[in-house]
Parts: sequence; C-alpha cells; structure tokens
Amino acid sequence: MTVKAGVAIPGTPSETTDEELNYLNNKTGIKSWLLTLDHKRIGVMYLWSVLIAFLIGGVFALLIRTELLTPGKTIMEADTYNEMFTLHGTIMVFLFIIPAIPAALGNFFLPIQLGAKDVAFPRLNLLSYYLYVLGSLVAIGSIIVGHIDTGWTFYTPYSLEGNSSVLFMTGGAFILGFSSILTGVNFIATTHKMRAPGITWRRLPLFIWSLYATAVIQVLATPVLAITLLLLILEKTMTIGIFDSRLGGDPVLFEHFFWFYSHPAVYIMILPGMGVVNEVITTFSHRRIYGYMFVAMSSVALAILSFLVWGHHLFAAGMSAYATMVFSMLTFLVAIPSGIKIFNWLATLYQGSISLASPMLYTLGFIALFTIGGLTGVFLGTLALDIHLHDTYFVVAHFHYVMVGGTVFGFLSGLHYWWPKMTGKMYNETVARIAFGFVFIGFNVTFFSQFLLGSQGMPRRYYDYLDQYQPLHMTSSGGAYILGVGFVIMGAMFLHSLFKGKKASENPWGSAGYEWMTSTPPHPENFAETPVMTRGPYDYELCTEAELYEGFRSELPAALAE
Amino acid sequence: MNDTPVFNAPNGTLQLPPQMSTLAPHVDWLYYLVFWCSVASFVAIVGLMTIYIIKYRRRPGRKSLPTGHNTPLEIAWTVIPLILLMGLFHLGFKNYMSGLVAPKDALQIHVRAMQWNWEFEHPNGTTQMNEAMLPVGVPIQFIISSSDVLHSFYVPEARLKRDAVPGLYTTLWFEVPKERLQGKKDVDVWVFCAEYCGAPHGITNGSEANTNHSTMRAQLHFVPQSVYDDFLKKGPPPPPECEGKPNVASCWGEQIYEQAGCRACHHTDGVTEQPGPNWKGLFGHNVKFEDGTSQVADANYIRQSILQPQAKIVAGYTTINMPPYRLSDREIDAVVAYIKSLGEQ
Ligand code: HEC
Ligand SMILES: [Cu+2]
Ligand SMILES: [Cu+2]
Repeated sequence: MTVKAGVAIPGTPSETTDEELNYLNNKTGIKSWLLTLDHKRIGVMYLWSVLIAFLIGGVFALLIRTELLTPGKTIMEADTYNEMFTLHGTIMVFLFIIPAIPAALGNFFLPIQLGAKDVAFPRLNLLSYYLYVLGSLVAIGSIIVGHIDTGWTFYTPYSLEGNSSVLFMTGGAFILGFSSILTGVNFIATTHKMRAPGITWRRLPLFIWSLYATAVIQVLATPVLAITLLLLILEKTMTIGIFDSRLGGDPVLFEHFFWFYSHPAVYIMILPGMGVVNEVITTFSHRRIYGYMFVAMSSVALAILSFLVWGHHLFAAGMSAYATMVFSMLTFLVAIPSGIKIFNWLATLYQGSISLASPMLYTLGFIALFTIGGLTGVFLGTLALDIHLHDTYFVVAHFHYVMVGGTVFGFLSGLHYWWPKMTGKMYNETVARIAFGFVFIGFNVTFFSQFLLGSQGMPRRYYDYLDQYQPLHMTSSGGAYILGVGFVIMGAMFLHSLFKGKKASENPWGSAGYEWMTSTPPHPENFAETPVMTRGPYDYELCTEAELYEGFRSELPAALAE
Repeated sequence: MNDTPVFNAPNGTLQLPPQMSTLAPHVDWLYYLVFWCSVASFVAIVGLMTIYIIKYRRRPGRKSLPTGHNTPLEIAWTVIPLILLMGLFHLGFKNYMSGLVAPKDALQIHVRAMQWNWEFEHPNGTTQMNEAMLPVGVPIQFIISSSDVLHSFYVPEARLKRDAVPGLYTTLWFEVPKERLQGKKDVDVWVFCAEYCGAPHGITNGSEANTNHSTMRAQLHFVPQSVYDDFLKKGPPPPPECEGKPNVASCWGEQIYEQAGCRACHHTDGVTEQPGPNWKGLFGHNVKFEDGTSQVADANYIRQSILQPQAKIVAGYTTINMPPYRLSDREIDAVVAYIKSLGEQ
C-alpha cells in the first residue's frame, strides 16, 4: 500500500478472505432488518431515515430561498410560505438534527467504541426507532390534515388559533421526544455498565463523552418539552387558560417552557458534532487530544449551563430587568467551555501529522464555522445588541452557523469518516472534496449575507420585504443553490460507493481509535472476542507505523495478514 | 444618562442602518467593539489553524509529537476570555437599561398591535393607523399592547424592539435628534413586526401592505414640535399625494383602505365576497343582517361598521370577526367617500 504525502489515501485492503462474517451478511431478508436488535442495523435504519428527513427539509429550504429571490410573490402565497418555513424548521430540528448524530452514528459506534456487544437495552433501542418513525409520520401528517404555519416554536396564542394540524405536529414532536429519551437512557446505561476491560473513564473516547453528556440532557430536558406540548394540546382542545391571556393565562409562560427545553436541545444538537470532531481531528493529526479532561469536562459543563440560559430568547419579550441581567450573564459563561474546545482542537493540530482527507476537511470546516457561530452568539448575548438583532436574519444566520456549520458539518465529517467501517466500501475521495468545496462555499454565501441582512434590520420569517434588502436576499438564495449542488454531488458519490466502491480495509485512516480495531464491516457482535484495551483511543505514540497504516488486525493472527 | 462611548454614522454603515435615535450611536459603538474583537479572534484561530495545517502536514517521515500538558495555559484561555466577556456584559446591560427606562417627561404614545396593523394613539386621543406623526427632539415612550397574538414593535433605525404581548403592557422609548431633520419637512422611520404573527389563508393579495406578518409595518413621520402640535389640534391631514386631486376625500379613503389593512378582507371588484363583504355597490345597497333585520348602507352605517363592527353582523359572516378601527372623523369621511365612489345602487 502506498502512502501519499499529506494524505492517507486508503489503498487496497489487506487481502482477507472475501466473505468474512459481518453484521450485513450474517442474516438477510427484510425481516432481518425490520425486527433486528443489532444496534448497528438500527443505526443504519436511523441513518437512512434521517437522510430522508434531511432531503425533505432541504427541499423546503430551497423553496423558501426561491420565494425570497424577489420581494412580494415569487412562486407562492404568503400562507404557503409560512407553511414552508414551519415544515423546514420542524423537520430539520425534530426529525433530522436531534437524532442525526446520536441515533444514527452514535447507535452504530457507541457500543463498538466501548468494546461492547450491543447497547444495554436492545429492545428499547428498536422501540425508540419505531417511535421515531411513528412520530415522524404523525408530524408529517399535519401537512395532510391542514395547514401548519406556527413556526417550529409553536408560540401561543397564534398556535391556539387555526386548525388541528398544530395538534399533529406537536403530537409528532411529543412522540419523537420519547424516542430521544429512550436512546438517551440506553446510552447512559451502556456507558456505565458495558465498557470492555481496560476502557476506564479516562480512556473513554471523546465521542462517547459527548454522547453521554447529550444523553443526560435528553433524559432531563425532553420531558419538559413533552409537558409543554401536552399543555398546548390541552389548551387548544379544552381552553383551560394556561397560555391564553383572555382566560387569564400567560403567553410568555409558553415561551419560558418552550425554551427551557429548546435551549438545552441546542446542546443535544451540537455536542455530538463536537464529539465527532474530537475523533476526526485526532485521527487525522495522529495525536492525542490536547487537554483530554478539559475537553471531556467542557462537554459536561455545557450540558449543565445549557439549563440555565433559556431566558436569552426572551430579552425583548418584556421579562423583568433583573431576570434579563442574570440570563445575559449566564449566557456569556457558555462561551467559556465552547472556547476551551476550540483552543484544545488547535493545540491538538500543533505538532501533529496532519492529513487533509475529506472527513478532516469537514472537521476543519466545523471549527471555522462554529467559531463564527460562537462569536456571533456573543453579539446576541450582549443585551443592548440583542434588542436590535433579536428575531432578525442575524439570528437566523447565527443558528445556521451553529446548527449547519456545526452539527451538520460534524455529521458529514462523521459520515465520511465512518462510512468505510459501516459499509465496507470506500468512496471517491476527489469527488468528496469537490462536494466539500460546494457545500462550504455555498453555506457561507447563503448565511454570511444573512448576518448583514439582520444587522441592517431585516426581520425573520418574512415573506415580503422592502426593496433595499433584495441584493442580499438574492446572494443568499444563490448560495443556497450552490449548497444544494454540493449535496447532490455528495449523494451521488455515496450511492456510487455503495454499489461500486472499492473494498475498505480495516483501518483506512490509520486511526488508533477502538472502533477501527475490529473487522470491516464489523462482526455481528462487534468484536469476535471481547477486546482488552491496553491503551487509550488516542495513544498514537504507543502505536507502530504498521498499525497506523496497515490496520490493527493485520498484526494479529498471521492467517489473516498476507 | 448614558455615558458609554459613541460611534457616529448618521447615515448608517455597511452593517448597520441609519442612526435615528440618541441611543443608536452608543449601541453601534458596542456593536463595532464586539465586531472587531470577533474579527481578531477569528483571524487568530483560523490563522493558527492554517499555519499548523501547512507546517505540520503529513509527509514522508513526519511523525506527530506526543501531546504534552500545560495547566497554566488551559487556565489562561479560560480566565482571559471570561474577563473580556464580563466587560461586554456590563456595557450591554447599561445600554439595555437606558433603552428601557424612559425619562420622566417623555411623550407617551400608545401602540396597539393587531393582525396585521399598528394603531397609534396620541395623548389627546387622536389615533393613526400604520403611520404616526411624532415630534423630533423629545423623548417618546411607546406603550405597547396587543389585541390578538404576539407581535414585536421593531424600529431598526432606533436599534430597539419590544414584543407586543396580549394581556401585558411593554414599553420602550427613544428620541430622534433634531439634527436628523437637516432642513427637511419630515424624516420617516420604519416600524416592522418582528414576532411572527401569521397570514390569512388563501388570500391572493398577500404582498400588499399590512396583509400578513411580513407586511405588518408602519411609518413614523418625525416633524418639528410645532407641526406636531398643529397636527394634534386638527387631526391628520390628507396625504400629500391626494392634494390637488378632483376628489381628495375618496383618494384619501383609498389610501386608508390600502394602509389600514381593510384590503386584507374587503375586495372592491364586485365579485369576491370573502373574507369580508365586497365594497363595490355597497353604498345605498340594502344590507341584510344575521339577526334577520336589514338596513340601507349609508354614511352612518359605514361609520358604525368601522367603529363597532360587531353591532350589526352582515348575514353569512359569523366566522370571521372584523376588528374595530379607531379612525378619526376626517378619515371615516374619507372612507365613506371612497366606498361611495365605487358605485351606488
Ligand atoms: C379581518 C378581516 C376584516 C378587516 C381587516 C376589515 N374588515 Fe370590514 N368587515 C369584515 C367582515 C367579516 C364584515 C362583515 C361582518 C360584519 O358586519 O361585521 C365586515 C363588514 C364591514 C362593513 C360593512 C359591509 C357591508 O357589506 O355591510 C364595512 C363598511 C367595513 N367592514 C369596513 C371596513 C374598513 C373601513 C376596514 C379597514 C379600516 C375593514 N372593514 C377591515 C372583515 C374585515
Ligand atoms: Cu438559547
Ligand atoms: Cu405582527
């Protein structure tokens, strides 16, 4: 196998016997998938599902951007537009981003990285998948029942008016919440109880630390969403006067409830992405993460702080000045653990041996874009600036930098990184880089212009706008099309890999991570024998050159190596 | 008093709109402080990243060095940003409070938000729809309420917004400096609705003014104090566009129809009767009511239909409620003239 300068281009696999036993070929038939208890197969089913959700949400996004090319009507009416951005938001948040990394990639790799055979409760895991499917169908059913135009935030009293589609959408989100609680419970139990010998807490892969922190938030915060949505459903069907001011309720109470969940949910979305970045950055710079404990604990700190800052969504909502002050101060604290992560990633690159393969490109993209997302968060945390910027395109741009530039880039990084292990196939690296170019440039063109729109005073969720905003809107839409092209190229590349891809070796990236020690695709029970870990997942100094480039197993029984 | 530093750019910059309040230069200074700090941090982070990527790129013979550990460094990059951020927090809070607490002598204007209009009420009871005449050089406090869903009173050029919450009064204040007039008769400042408040379903004129969340806007006309006083005495004058037209009143009435949002429900083509009755041929027509009675539509009936729409409900219109509109007498006369001009029966 050849190693090109600067890049670890995976070569031909170490010639193993062609049909090794793996999780894909041990059983066949549709039932072996739909009723499987194997976390890997459930992870793959989740992956397909979230990708479909991403596709649907993405189409809505393109329709929105097309409508905004010109002021007034371009392709649709105001009420249709409102429905589009509501569906875009709800689908992307509840059906895609929240489950994307934990339920798809996490389900697949958490047990493998722990050296476990499966998650602690495999049946619960399957149930969580079916709750996801049910919740998604109920949520999407709202399109058929009527016209869902409340925005993904369902603010009262607007959501109390109108037709019953809101009941379907919130009902769907309610069910999806349970799916995410079950995944969280499973991950916590698995991490505590099923670590292979030698995997101590200090040797836990950082992806697991971030999934663990995420799971804690999921278990603690999601019930609040469930209660909130239930109250909304009760209020709508029985008018009891919780949120409706005409009955003595308080609409702002809903905002408090909603953000008490949804701010922590932001960390449910971003922490797993940071976890992927930790894995990828160490692999592609061949270096142990700098300040392991600081990085691990910053995840936990973010998880805790995330429960204390929901009020920053209500700075303009007429909250008391004292509450506003406290929430602003706490919000600034969030910047600290986020900053720690960025500094530690930089320090990890320092004196590494850095390869710029596609997973690493997405990870570096993550760091750059998340930095912008974080810094613009400082604008929004600063009270006087938030009063100007709140509910404008500045906020839209800010959270897209965090959620797309952060989470989606993290997800794509993980997908490129683990794709060979999951499918046993390589993809075309050149095409992957071209797709990255489109996605990165398209993303920045789309959303950077939105910062300017927002600081110039363009409110969000606007179907129509004053002429002065048109040049920036057109730029943003142009960026969205570039982004779309990037995703089409990437989709084609992955499909091509699935059918025609070269066989992947065990450890194509030369990683020291535990999941690369098993066969590709993994054995049905992850490891043929329970592994005993004698070093941490980032101890590159303890690996030999051969291990890093030829894969670990080739060192094992001579029969398997050529 | 606000003693934080200022950044003056009356006509705005690439990033920020014109400064139309005494608060804006303070906010903008803070904005650019955060902006330049962010640029510096971004350049430092991405710059270092780029240098490392180039310097430590993988090439034959390059081996990574084991990761060391440096607790003082970790503590430094925790504590230094913390101190900077607390400074920002302090400045942000100070400017926030100065936009919230109005001076005692501020002129009080009530703002009522409703789907999809802004109603302004002056101290003497004069009301205006989706526009307001206001004096420069005095602090003005807006007392904001909502009669239906959440809205948000947003004045980008003043750098301020506050939600309109049903069941709650919220306030904000600002003062337009006298110099902004620069010898002109008035300066106009936009108000947007920044909290999503929906759109009517299936209406085709969705992009006209004041028919949905995105067009729920108002214009504040800032004039010298003397002009404002005059306005308070006589009520709003007909708009300049209508002056010199053969029928000033009906021209003005048509403007009110557009700007006050009647258009969202009432058509004038004589065909569409939804969501509200068509106005063509309404004047002089015998209107049948839900309770079985009927009446000829004359000026008094139209006046009542605007001020107390629920007093007499036209037969067949029980599902959509028309909100009451507080128009001045002169404005009502103008609407009547306009409806009359659409044809009598
Ligand atoms: C939310 C929709 C809506 C808006 C906005 C609206 N109306 Fe109406 N209007 C109605 C409905 C519905 C009726 C019939 C029921 C009734 O009589 O209250 C009506 C009735 C009327 C009538 C009596 C018509 C008849 O055929 O007898 C007049 C006059 C009128 N509106 C004037 C106005 C004016 C002037 C405005 C703007 C300042 C306005 N409306 C804005 C819904 C609306
Ligand atoms: Cu938040
Ligand atoms: Cu509004």
